[in-house]
Formats: sequence, C-alpha cells, structure tokens
Amino acid sequence: MAEDQAVAELERFLADRADHLLRAAMLLTGSREAGQDLLQTALERLLRHWSTLDGDPEAYLRRTLYNLATDGFRRAGRLQRKLVLLRAEARPAADPAAEVDLRDALIRLLLQLPPRQRAVLVCRYWEQLTEAETAELLGWPEGTVKSAASRGLRRLRDLASGWQQAELHETGPRGLGG
Amino acid sequence: MSTNVEDLLREGMQRFTEGVRAPAGLAYRAAQRRRRRRIVRGAMLGGAAVATATAAAVAMIAAGTVAQPGTSLAQARAAALVVSRVKHALASEHNVFVGRTLSTGDQPSVTWAYGAHNRFEEFTGTQCGRVNTSGDCSHQGGSQRYLATGTALVNGKLTGAYVTYFDHKYSLSPVYKMPASACGRTAITMGGPPLPTQHWSSFIKATLDCGAAKVTGHVWINGQETIQITGKPITVRLGRGEANAVHEKYARALWTLYVNPSSYLPVRMIGVTETFGGSGGHTRFESVTNVHWLPPTSANVAKALVTIPPGYHQVKSPADQ
Repeated sequence: MAEDQAVAELERFLADRADHLLRAAMLLTGSREAGQDLLQTALERLLRHWSTLDGDPEAYLRRTLYNLATDGFRRAGRLQRKLVLLRAEARPAADPAAEVDLRDALIRLLLQLPPRQRAVLVCRYWEQLTEAETAELLGWPEGTVKSAASRGLRRLRDLASGWQQAELHETGPRGLGG
Repeated sequence: MSTNVEDLLREGMQRFTEGVRAPAGLAYRAAQRRRRRRIVRGAMLGGAAVATATAAAVAMIAAGTVAQPGTSLAQARAAALVVSRVKHALASEHNVFVGRTLSTGDQPSVTWAYGAHNRFEEFTGTQCGRVNTSGDCSHQGGSQRYLATGTALVNGKLTGAYVTYFDHKYSLSPVYKMPASACGRTAITMGGPPLPTQHWSSFIKATLDCGAAKVTGHVWINGQETIQITGKPITVRLGRGEANAVHEKYARALWTLYVNPSSYLPVRMIGVTETFGGSGGHTRFESVTNVHWLPPTSANVAKALVTIPPGYHQVKSPADQ
C-alpha cells in the first residue's frame, strides 16, 4: 500500500522531470534504450528509499543516475555489470550520414570517453553545472572533476581539430558552421 | 555555428536528445521491475551456496537433457578409473575447503566450506575501493569486504544468511540444499559449474556417470599433477527478465575441474559463461578458483560460517539490501 502511494507520488514528480532525466541518461549511456534502462534502475533505487528520503527526490535521483552511470554497476546486477565491462570496447556502428557534422562526431566521441569523464562533461555542458556543483552532485573532490573535464575536453578538441583539417583537405576552405 | 568545442558539444547534446520524451508510467514500471527483482534475488539467495566459487550473477535452470557419456574406449576406461578412485576418496573430505576466486572485472571472492557450512565472501576489488552506504565505488582505499552469503548459526540453528557490509544489513532464509550432481535439470551459475561444497567425490562420480562431464586429461598445477574433468557445455534460454536486462537470448556455461588424482578433491575450477543470440553482442565471463584444503581446526571450521556483525539491521530479504 505504502509502495503504491510512493509510486503515485513518483509518477507526479516524473510528469515534470522525466524528459530531462531521460535525456541526461541517454547522454550518459549513448542510446535511448540504455538510457531508459539506466533511468529505470535509478527509479527503482529511489523507490526503495522513498519512505526514508529526506530532501529533494530529484537531487537523489540525479545523483543515483550519475553514480550508476559511472560506477554504480556494482549494485546494478552482476550480470549487467559484467556486460558493461565486456562491452567496453564494443560501440555502436557509426552512421555514415552523420559524419558530416562535427557536432554529431563530438557526441560519438563523448560516448567513447571513460564513464567518469563523460559524466563530468554531461554535468557541465548538459546540466549546465559549475565544477563545484558537479563535484557535489557526483560526490567527488572538485579536483577530480576538473581533471576529468580537462581530459575529456582535450580529447574532444583533438577530434575537432582533426575533423577541421580533414574537411579543409577534402573540400577546401569552408566554415565549420556551413 | 560556433567553432568552440564546448558550444559544439552543447549543441550536439541538444541535437542528440532532441524530441526525446519519456514514456508514461516510468514509476509504475520501476515498481514492477523492483518486485520482479525481489523474486529473482530471493531465488538467487537460495542458489547462493551453489555459486560460492563463482560469484554467480544469475541462476538459470537448464531445461535440456544431458548427453550420454563419451563413446571412445579410452574415454570409457578413463572414466571407469576415475569412478573407482572416487569411491575411495570419501575419507578425504573432512578438511576445510578454501577457494579463492578471481573473475572478469577484478572481482575477488573467497569461499569457505565445511560439511553443511559455507561462506562466500565478495570483495570490492582494488579498482572499486571503498564503497559508500549505497554500495557505490569510491575508487580509493583498496579492496574491502562487500557482501557475504552462505550459512550462519542463528539461535543455535543453521540458516541461510546474506550480509551486506556497506549498508550494515542482513537477511535470513532457509539453507540451500546442494545439488547431488551436475546432471539433468541443474542450477548453473554465471561463470561456472554447479559446485557443491560437500560430498565432492559423490558429486563427481554422479556427474561422470550421467555424462554431464568427462575426463579430458592430466594437467600440472603448481607442481602437482591433476586430472582434468570437463563439464558438458550447457546452453539455456534466458528467462524473460534476464533476457530483457542483458538484451541477450541465451547463456552457455562451460566448466572444468582439476582434481587431485589421489583424493579427488578439486585443486582448481574454471568457469566460463557466454551470452549470445540477442542485440547485446557476444560476451564472455570467466572465473578461476584456486582451492586449498585446510585441517579442520576450530578456527578454520569457524570461517565456514557467515557471522552477522553486532549492530547490523535485519531486513526481510536481499531485495532490501
């Protein structure tokens, strides 16, 4: 009975926030399907603690979402955890049509970054959080957030630079925003 | 469009998620999944003792039948020799089993077993380090105890126990009964065979008799000659819940035991589980357990029981941990 009530309350909360949370989960996992799985897992955990939750459910849910995406797989089921590890090298095939846009290329590279770097970049550039807020959300030291963001961005910059050179080589001078 | 990478990234993120709407009923679905998981975890706790040496991920029921024993004469002779030796090995089973397991993903565990007592303890591993009260890794501080499952003495009665150290909780359940062999409808586990932790000799004999495993050679391990016994690969169709969770249709388990030729007690066990047939992509999980047998001193025997630390809070089932 208590759980039914919790579910109803959670549904009301999600009516406003689910889209944003699912989008963040997509960016953390790389696909809508995996994002939905991640969000569901975070929701399960939220339900488990609903009766004892002290404070904002969204803050708890977001933190859970990011923790699960980075290293919470220890609790997400052993088999799933192993699959995460085993699939670390396997990435979705690139869509040739999307190659033409650096923005898409950046997102593909983002999805190949280590989970912690990816989580930091999603916090910073999707959630628009400061480094201090990101550190608080993830429960990491601010220095860890800074270094993860810096490493992740460096890789993205390398890609952007390589992409620009390739574009110039193939098509002659052209603005990136073409 | 800006050439600044940060701006491009923001725009890319917007584009990647553009128009995505969350389906209705997410909370109801999460509640349903939670209920299903409770059921699965309850079943897993029952199977935990089976999985002691392999850190089981999921218990599955092999629906298929087991093939007949190998037909070659050499194979038959080898099996007969093993069976005759096994019959005389029962007296060697009064030592304490200690299995140290390393598996895919830096996940160490230790199994202690003596008679009907057993304790499987999993550690976080050095990559994960200390965990917080939700069980999340800190990546600092080195490996620590994560959970223990097996048997405990509660009010003088042997009972099943599941302890999670990170949140200071435990739950109790009936003691799981070990399978007598790996034949027929068998609980197979992630990465390994259905391993009993008592009556090894009769387990091996029954498993060889029914053809669920065969003698496949002699291997030297740590300066000791061992007999290699290989289980017949078992493929199972994953249950709907597991299949949905991992986006795969089938799991195949392969296992090998290396046993002492005189005592027929295991020296090493290797378990492999592969998943395939779905959109998730082929995966392989492997665990290796090195086994030692210690004299049954009171200190060693005591280690084969799960102890519930004082102050831990009892919950209804592992689903609440």
